[in-house]
Amino acid sequence: MMESAAARIREQQGLLSQLDCIAGDGDHGTTMLRIMDRLESAFKTDAPDLRASFSEAGWNVMGSDGGASSSLLGAFFLGVGEATRAGVSSWDCIQFAAALQAGLQAIQAQTKARPGDKTLMDALAPAVESLVAAAQAGNDLASALKTAAEAAKAGASSTENLIARYGRARLLGEKTRGHQDPGATSVALIIDGFSQAASEMKGGIEHARHG
Amino acid sequence: MKKFINRPENLVSELLEGFVLSHPGTVRLTGSNLVARAKPKDAGKVGVVTLGGSGHEPGLSGFVGEGMLDVSVAGEIFAAPGSPRCLEAIRLAERGAGVLFIVLNHSGDILSANMTMSLAQREGLKVRKIVTHEDIAGGPNPDDRRGLVGFLPVYKIAGAAAEQGRSLDDCLAIAERMERNMRTLAVALTTATHPSTGQPIFTLADDEMEIGMGQHGEAGTGRMKLKTADETAEMMLQMLLDDLQVKSGEDLLVIVNGAGSTTLMELFLIFRKVHQILKDKGIRLARSKVGEFITTQEQGGFQLMIARMDPELLQLWDAPSNAPYFVVR
Repeated sequence: MMESAAARIREQQGLLSQLDCIAGDGDHGTTMLRIMDRLESAFKTDAPDLRASFSEAGWNVMGSDGGASSSLLGAFFLGVGEATRAGVSSWDCIQFAAALQAGLQAIQAQTKARPGDKTLMDALAPAVESLVAAAQAGNDLASALKTAAEAAKAGASSTENLIARYGRARLLGEKTRGHQDPGATSVALIIDGFSQAASEMKGGIEHARHG
Repeated sequence: MKKFINRPENLVSELLEGFVLSHPGTVRLTGSNLVARAKPKDAGKVGVVTLGGSGHEPGLSGFVGEGMLDVSVAGEIFAAPGSPRCLEAIRLAERGAGVLFIVLNHSGDILSANMTMSLAQREGLKVRKIVTHEDIAGGPNPDDRRGLVGFLPVYKIAGAAAEQGRSLDDCLAIAERMERNMRTLAVALTTATHPSTGQPIFTLADDEMEIGMGQHGEAGTGRMKLKTADETAEMMLQMLLDDLQVKSGEDLLVIVNGAGSTTLMELFLIFRKVHQILKDKGIRLARSKVGEFITTQEQGGFQLMIARMDPELLQLWDAPSNAPYFVVR
């Protein structure tokens, strides 16, 4: 699952940096590559424990020194880890949705940015909400994640018409309209990677084997 | 891109290595690439720590030394370092009297610093944070004002106060007084190339300049036709004096900071005009610095900073420092 998300980011890293040139410093793609390397390595382990892996991933991502992206995504994975019981090595759809919801809450504790502010929250919040709703409605992981990936993509696209209200871009106001937010684009790619991986496996999330 | 680099992924570690090797006996690398004073501060004195992205040399690690910073945490190019290394730096700087954590107002640095503060509190570390935000291009709301070259007087004043053995609360209070009394405005002429991506970070026509350009080349707010040194200095200084509400008879510190490719020749022209205007207005130029303290690669332009000084701030500004890029004897 992490490999698949990392692959989506690697495919699109040029686009991510290009989007970042408009209101940032043009390095979002390379920052995301470092983040995905560290995320992937936390799941390459012989002792399958989702709490340990997500906590390590969060700490590693935060330590990748990639500015706001690494602090926020690090907080997200750390939040997922902290909400998971030690020793758990697999999740069903409901558990996975609850874990991601805890990650979202962890980001919300670090930033006041909310959907509509042209940040990664525009993709992440609707993705997690639709994942939770789809899980509660009894969908399997693959179809719930498909819905979440669509919501994330729509959320990322919606940033094109927004004005940045957080981060470095916020000082530019109107100039930020007309271009998709790079952070939201990355989140949509990650969720899409999760969805692709889920559609290729059956049942729930298992550590290591599909990790 | 035309730059002398080896491998982009090794850029930060190689530049830090080169920096400390060129100043042996003053600074060293320790732990996970933290830049620290070679000779640790005496026990019982407040530690001073900062964080920030790389690519802005000599900022910020150039100001580590006795009388200024104890530890600097350098991030990747133009990107804040994460909390794990900041936490490590705070532990390292703790000499029994607590640590002052100086943060420049940029979203990545703030996120990382806030996370670091909550982790430090969890560990029971005594840390106080000060955020510098003196860039008037951000408008009236302090949260929108970025931290530019004003970090320099804040590092200097806080570092000197800590060296004198003042308490953490005292160091914070005096650093905050310095911070409240300073204002900066930046102007850009030409773009910088991101050394990892090889891409220009913004574009500006040959006959244009942009007031309010960020330290990372983030586009500013006032693009206009290129003006002369005198016209530019006059316009920017007036905006700063108005914002800080400077009155005649007051003492000012003035810093002209080159962005990377603007020559010292041009910076002197700017300073000359600033001096002339202040003299005409009866404002005292108490101290001044012209040079490169924080750069953005080969970006053209400069930052103009003014700060209202009082006798105590001047005394701390004049106190000794052996930081490689700010030696005061």
